[in-house]
Amino acid sequence: VSPVRRMTLLRAQEWAGTLALAAAFGACAISGELGVGLVLLFFGAAAAASILRPSTRRYEWAWTTLLGAAFLLQAAQIASGRLDIVLGAAQFTVLLAVHRLWHRGSRRDEWLLLLLSVLLVCAGAALSAELLFGLCFLCYAVAATWALALTYLRFEIESARTPEHAAMLLNGRRLVTPGVLAALASLSLAALVGSAAIFVTFPRVTIGGLRRSSSSIPIAGLGDQIDLLRHGVVADDPRVVLRVQLDPSPSAHGELTTHWRARSLEVWTGRGWRARTDVWGGATSTAPMPPVRRAEAYRRPDPLVADIEAVAGFSAGVVLVPEGWPMGVTFHGPLTARGTQTRLLRAPNGDLFYTPAEMGDVHYVVRTERALPDLDGLRGSGTTYPREIAVDLEVPDHVDERVRRLSRLLTAGKDPVDAAAAVELWLTKSLGYTRELPGPQSDPIAHFLFESRRGHCELFSSAMVILLRLAGIPARNVTGYYGGVHTGAGYWAVRAGDAHSWVEVYVPGAGFVPFDPTPPSGRGSAQKGWWAEAVLVWDGLSQRWRAFVVDYDLLSQRRTIARIATALRETGKRLSRARPGTPEFREAAFQIALSLLVVVGGIALLRRVRHRGRPASDALTADQRRARKLWQRARERLDREGVPLTPATSPRETIRWTAQHKPPAAPAVERLASVVLAARWGGERLPPWRARTLLQELQQQLRRSNAPAGGESRKT
Amino acid sequence: VSVARAGALTARARVVPAWKRRLSFTPLGRWYVALTVAIGFAAINTGNNLLFLVLGLLLSSIVVSGILSETSLRAVRVERRLPISASVGAEALVALIARNGKPRAPSVGLTVREKGGDVAGQGLFLVLGPGRSEEVSYRFTPARRGVHRFDQLEVATRAPFGLFEKVRPLSAPAELIVFPRRIAPPPLEPRQLAREGESSTGRAGHGLEMHALRDYRPGEDARSIHWRSSARAGKLIGVDREQERRRQVCVVLDHRRATGAALETAVERAAALFERELDSGAEVSLALCGERLPAGSGERHRIAGLTLLALLDASSGAPPPVPDRDASVLEVVA
Repeated sequence: VSPVRRMTLLRAQEWAGTLALAAAFGACAISGELGVGLVLLFFGAAAAASILRPSTRRYEWAWTTLLGAAFLLQAAQIASGRLDIVLGAAQFTVLLAVHRLWHRGSRRDEWLLLLLSVLLVCAGAALSAELLFGLCFLCYAVAATWALALTYLRFEIESARTPEHAAMLLNGRRLVTPGVLAALASLSLAALVGSAAIFVTFPRVTIGGLRRSSSSIPIAGLGDQIDLLRHGVVADDPRVVLRVQLDPSPSAHGELTTHWRARSLEVWTGRGWRARTDVWGGATSTAPMPPVRRAEAYRRPDPLVADIEAVAGFSAGVVLVPEGWPMGVTFHGPLTARGTQTRLLRAPNGDLFYTPAEMGDVHYVVRTERALPDLDGLRGSGTTYPREIAVDLEVPDHVDERVRRLSRLLTAGKDPVDAAAAVELWLTKSLGYTRELPGPQSDPIAHFLFESRRGHCELFSSAMVILLRLAGIPARNVTGYYGGVHTGAGYWAVRAGDAHSWVEVYVPGAGFVPFDPTPPSGRGSAQKGWWAEAVLVWDGLSQRWRAFVVDYDLLSQRRTIARIATALRETGKRLSRARPGTPEFREAAFQIALSLLVVVGGIALLRRVRHRGRPASDALTADQRRARKLWQRARERLDREGVPLTPATSPRETIRWTAQHKPPAAPAVERLASVVLAARWGGERLPPWRARTLLQELQQQLRRSNAPAGGESRKT
Repeated sequence: VSVARAGALTARARVVPAWKRRLSFTPLGRWYVALTVAIGFAAINTGNNLLFLVLGLLLSSIVVSGILSETSLRAVRVERRLPISASVGAEALVALIARNGKPRAPSVGLTVREKGGDVAGQGLFLVLGPGRSEEVSYRFTPARRGVHRFDQLEVATRAPFGLFEKVRPLSAPAELIVFPRRIAPPPLEPRQLAREGESSTGRAGHGLEMHALRDYRPGEDARSIHWRSSARAGKLIGVDREQERRRQVCVVLDHRRATGAALETAVERAAALFERELDSGAEVSLALCGERLPAGSGERHRIAGLTLLALLDASSGAPPPVPDRDASVLEVVA
């Protein structure tokens, strides 16, 4: 016997309440902001309450005191600005839920638990916008429906029955069956459908006060420094950091070979790189295109529009730009009257950032111009460098002599552009790629170039920057992502494991020109296997969740409603134009016929499945079914005429009652009953015409019995 | 005579339209709606779509609740079955019968309760399957004698979530006449006990005692032959039996000066005497101020007498009671 079949109403109600609360807590906890202590406390209390089932309220005063203390503590933290008010409210709600879970017993406790679970879901909505919230919400919708309905039933029984009778019903297995639970679950699905309808149509007019965006904890990505002395292995993280749609779109087959530039790191720290710390000028637009590029773009334009959705935890406030010169950035954002709009900021080194950075995932469109002059076009640009790029010429105080010699060897007497190309080529061809980190080294560049001769992308780019700077050529390290994989959801996914580092070399008149010394086989990540696929599928779902739920705003609403209205209008037009014989009519008729066929087929299939599930004894012949139906109809007629029948009234009793209340109809009922019994149990045939005749005869007799008396009034 | 006169008030009762419903919040429903409004405000204020999603779930649950409660109430027929008799101070059982006329959908959590009449009571039908009838009953203890009116029956449900109570009123007028309180009657006197039952009238009839002997008439029942006299006379002698008549008692209640508790006490004593004499086999008549019940016996006569006493009002201007001349009189002094 399955556990569900062994479930009593009382047990099912308690489990449903706990499940709803756990789902609500899960919706709240996936944000990761509640803290491990609170998560452990909740699940510990839930498990202990389920196992120990404490019935005493002896120590309730202690709980109340603790709650009061927690409230005061949190209020103080909120007042002092150390705790966010939404997070504080969520944490306190969890404590209240734990308290009530431990002391549940009365009707009030159960209702309070359900109300607290709603508050927890709301807190989860404020703290996190992840797809996991959607799953928790789905679980919550089902479990809360069970909990509401079963709690209602439980207390309805307790209030209307004697304690003994109520205990018998509550501890019985008659009321809670798998069928009842399935029916309640379908009820919750109906509620979810309604919820979706309300979600789509509810006007998205927002006031914009007290807005708290969801935030994620940065996991990896684009910090403002690089440490080359870390030891270990570069992780292949399959999590998606960018969802990109490109125009013009490259072929969906194969992988993308685009560099996604995040930021440049110019200052050598002795262990790696960090960003320069100049005072920002507060520029809020992209930098103007240098003359050489401008001329090339004019001669041979090659624009690219990238619609980018950046996951906040990875983008760290940086606007990622595909290869080319950024011409403009446009942010998507929900419309609010007072909501903070996302703004673009440009650092002195040209890096682009958005603010406020804690807005959660960010969605923007970058237009770039990819038309770059080739090396021949750049050659001979000179060595006159502006003062603001002096930082890109700085070399470390102590450089290994072998590195200096190598720099001279590769660049001596060459044009800066040729020198850069030579260094890039030498690194690509001469050194190998590995994901293993070098471990603690006093000079990671020299170790990489002359000892290990193998390294990851940051070592390649760092080595190139140092070699070029030693030759007096301004260069800088650039971080970002490389590549991308096409997903079934129709966008390109760039993953955390695609993190990459390359080099930008300053060419007068053309600005910083990218060079990538890392061997192509080592660029990006090689993420294969079911886990990487699963992550992509999950990301596809997340993207849809974000596109259709989280970012659904007034414009989306207008578009959706307009689309529905258009579809309805088109259908109306199509039907109004449809005349027999016209193509529109044929199409409409075909669609209607197809729909009907599908519906009828579905019903037939359902009936067949249900019929299969019945015991064999219920399989009746056509005559038996007809007899049963005839008897039902006869009973309905008699019932309408005031003959007192109950479900248990036998045919013989029916004849007797008819003789008492409608004497003229008694012979007809007797004939009908004998035919029915013979067909239903005696194997006699009952053709349809015979059934119809008997029923008509009964109706005539009933009418006749009513006529002289003027009708018998029925008691209602 | 039936004291439960169902339908007696139909003519003057308000006819409740079938569509009429009344909706009210339960305490949980009040909290639920307040929370929904608060979440709606928060959603509009913050523009957080996930809060709109939660709001959608709460609102659609309200809609689903409304649809299901309406489904539960629809096509449900309710009937009240009153007790044959009820007395002041004694528990009476009123049966409520509900039938779910829907072919497929069950009705869940139906509470049927009295509304607008003199009696309060309710019964719960937890689950009423499609096409099924069930019966529940409630008890009530009448506090006064006389007519108790029943007006409407309300079919209410809080299903499926207990957030709202939807009520469908039904016209179901009826009356129940509550008899006077049953008190212990004064014990019978010894001479009455000695001659319990019938007394002879001195005329031929169908009693047990012998009235006269005569010639046997052919075709008569053989049991009418007096065998000892026949043996003595050498021919068949028949016997006529004495006609017997039940003892006749008239309970007299002069309540012209009695009001309030005194009247109630007198009525209760009269009822007790009336019932005691009926139980002892006498034919009992009632003589009240301005009203009279002829002598009789049996259950129907008992109900008629008790009904008369149940409906008795204080009446100072009424004519005095006129006792039965042929009957022994038991007078109740008010």
